[in-house]
Order: sequence, then C-alpha cells, then structure tokens
Amino acid sequence: MTRARGEPWLAPDFLLELFRNPLDPGYADAAAARAERGPKPRWRRTGALVLRTLTLVLVGLLLAVAYREAVAAEPERSRAHAGLVDEVKTGQQRTDDLQQRTEDLRNQVTAAQQAALGGSAEELARVREQQAAAGLAAVSGPGTVVRLSDAPAPIDPATGRPSTAEVNRVLDVDLQAVVNGLWASGAEAIAVNGQRLTSTTTIRVAGNAILVDFRPVTSPYEVSAIGPDDLERTFRRTAASASLADLANRYGLGYSTRTETSLTLPAAPGPSLRYAHPVGGTK
Amino acid sequence: MIAFLALVAGVVAGLLLEPTVPLALQPYLPIAVVAALDAVFGGVRAKLDGVFDDKQFVVSFVSNVLVAAFIVYLGDQLGVGGQLSTGVVVVLGVRIFGNVAAIRRHIFRA
Repeated sequence: MTRARGEPWLAPDFLLELFRNPLDPGYADAAAARAERGPKPRWRRTGALVLRTLTLVLVGLLLAVAYREAVAAEPERSRAHAGLVDEVKTGQQRTDDLQQRTEDLRNQVTAAQQAALGGSAEELARVREQQAAAGLAAVSGPGTVVRLSDAPAPIDPATGRPSTAEVNRVLDVDLQAVVNGLWASGAEAIAVNGQRLTSTTTIRVAGNAILVDFRPVTSPYEVSAIGPDDLERTFRRTAASASLADLANRYGLGYSTRTETSLTLPAAPGPSLRYAHPVGGTK
Repeated sequence: MIAFLALVAGVVAGLLLEPTVPLALQPYLPIAVVAALDAVFGGVRAKLDGVFDDKQFVVSFVSNVLVAAFIVYLGDQLGVGGQLSTGVVVVLGVRIFGNVAAIRRHIFRA
C-alpha cells in the first residue's frame, strides 16, 4: 500500500474513508504503476496467475472447512448437554438407591433392637417413641400442609413468552419462617417436600436451589406438619403466616394452607454421631 | 472463469478430503472466513473496475487472514477476544458491503 508523499499516516477521516471507498487502495496504486511502466513480462504474468489460482483454491478450502467445522460443532454441543443430563440422572438414581438401602438397614436395626430387648414391649415402645420424636422413624397423624410456590414467570412484552430472568422466588428464609412457625404452633414432626426435619437439618440456599438436609427441593414446596387439630388455625395467626400472606399479595408467590386428617412423614436419614457421646450411657 | 473454477475446486477438495483443523486454530476459523471473503469481494470488484492485480490480491488475502487471526489471538490473551472479534467483523463487514454494492452497480447498472 503505497501512499502519496506528504499524506498523513492515518487520515483524520479514516473511518469515513473506509465507508466511502472500501476497495483496497493498493489496487489503484498497482493499476497506476502498470499504466506508467507498461505490461509486465510474460513469465511474471504466468506466475501471478498460478498464485491467484492457488489463493482461490485456498479460499474455497477455507470456506468448506469452516462449513464442516460449524456443522460438526453442533451435535458436539448437544452431546455435552446430554452427557451432563445423564450424569445428573445417574447421581440422583444413586442417591435414591442409597436412601433405599438406608431404609432397609434401619429396618434391620429395628429388628435387631427388638431381638436385643428380648421382646420387652415397654422398652421397645420407648425406643420407638424416641426415634419418632427425633425424626428417625416414620410417623403418621393429623396435621397441616403449607404450600409455597414461586411466582409465575412474568410475560416478556417483547417476545410474548414467559421470561426466565426475573422470577420472584421462594427463599430459604421463607421456608425457615414456615418451619419455625409450625414448630411454634405445636407441630411434632415436619417434612419439606418429603424431607423429614431433624435436630440437625439445615434449610439453606445454594445458588438458585434450596437445600433441605443437603437434598435440593424445588417449587412448589409442601411443608407437611403433624400436630394438634387446630394447628392450621394457630399457624395462620403467627407472624410467619402474616409475612407470607403479605409476600403473596405483593410479589405473587403462591401461599396456601390446608388441614389433612392423615399425614405420613418419612424417616430422616439418621445422623451418625462422630464426636458427641450420650451422657450417662451404659457404654 | 479459471478463478471461479479454482474456487469451486477448493470447496470440493475441502468437502472430499475432510481435513481436520487443529484444536488451537479452530477459534480463528470464522474470522479467517470473513477476512477471506473480504479479499475475494475486493478482488472481484477490482476486476470489474479494471484495476485487478494478482500480487495485490494474494497479499491482501494472506495479510487479511493473518491480521484478523492475530487480532483475535491478542484479544483472547487480553480477555477481550469477543469484543475484538466484533471489531474485526464490523470493519471487514463494512468493506464487504461496500464492495458488493460496487459489484452490484457494475452488473445491474443500478
């Protein structure tokens, strides 16, 4: 790219020039040089033709390769996605299997306890009672179900589809408030989406998911509690219920309660004590 | 005519031979394609303008591809690869549009 002498290295209207005259100025320079010096010798013209042809073959090759790469990249992307989905499903399956195994083992433990206690009905009943109270045995009875759900996704005015960005979600603190309110109202056993709460259960948030006892739970959240007959009425009068009703009004969260005559709550996976020892135990 | 045949031959060769691009070079492929298109349209327009020059064409193709790839590489190292790629595509896109418009005027006189 030769330039007339005295011309600045970069014209102040460089971008304007780019828009006005997109052709490489080198072509004009070359044409001017040709007009000045006459046609090139024959061997140079042949060489130039070969070079030009080679370049064009290269361009064609580039286009074809880029096309093939773009086509090949697509399934790879969906493959990666499918692989991740598979992995998640396998992980969930494994967790379910392990929980099933826990259940089986717990039944064996109960059977062994029964055998060890020599069939003393009184002792056995006490153990059962304590297990149920601690959340380590399944329980059933009348109670209340509090249902919370995320607000429906607002409709995006541009696309007319539900937008995924701004959803008013139920937070971990909301679930905590419900659970605390239920305990305060006299509940004796509580489960969130089938996860029984024990003395060591946490309800916390990790990213967008709420974890109850390290298991993710998703909307709608059903907090089932077994307690006195007027549990629902008592809970409705707590501060937690009032604040949730307020949230439901203002942000469109789903919030409802209902009384059930018979609820069955599963057992929680037993916490294995590693550092704490029972005081005054026989061992 | 020879030029067009050469281009087609290149495409056919690319589809038949199925050359594999090294993984390290793959990010530069799309930008190299845009740079190559700029060189090709510039060449076609020069031909129609009657100022085509082989040396200029070959040099512009090679330098376009290398400079575009270098800018993207530099951007990747600096963490602004996406933005610099956009810049390259905008500049080359403007040139391609301008040249195609000139080619259109040559062919359709409009």
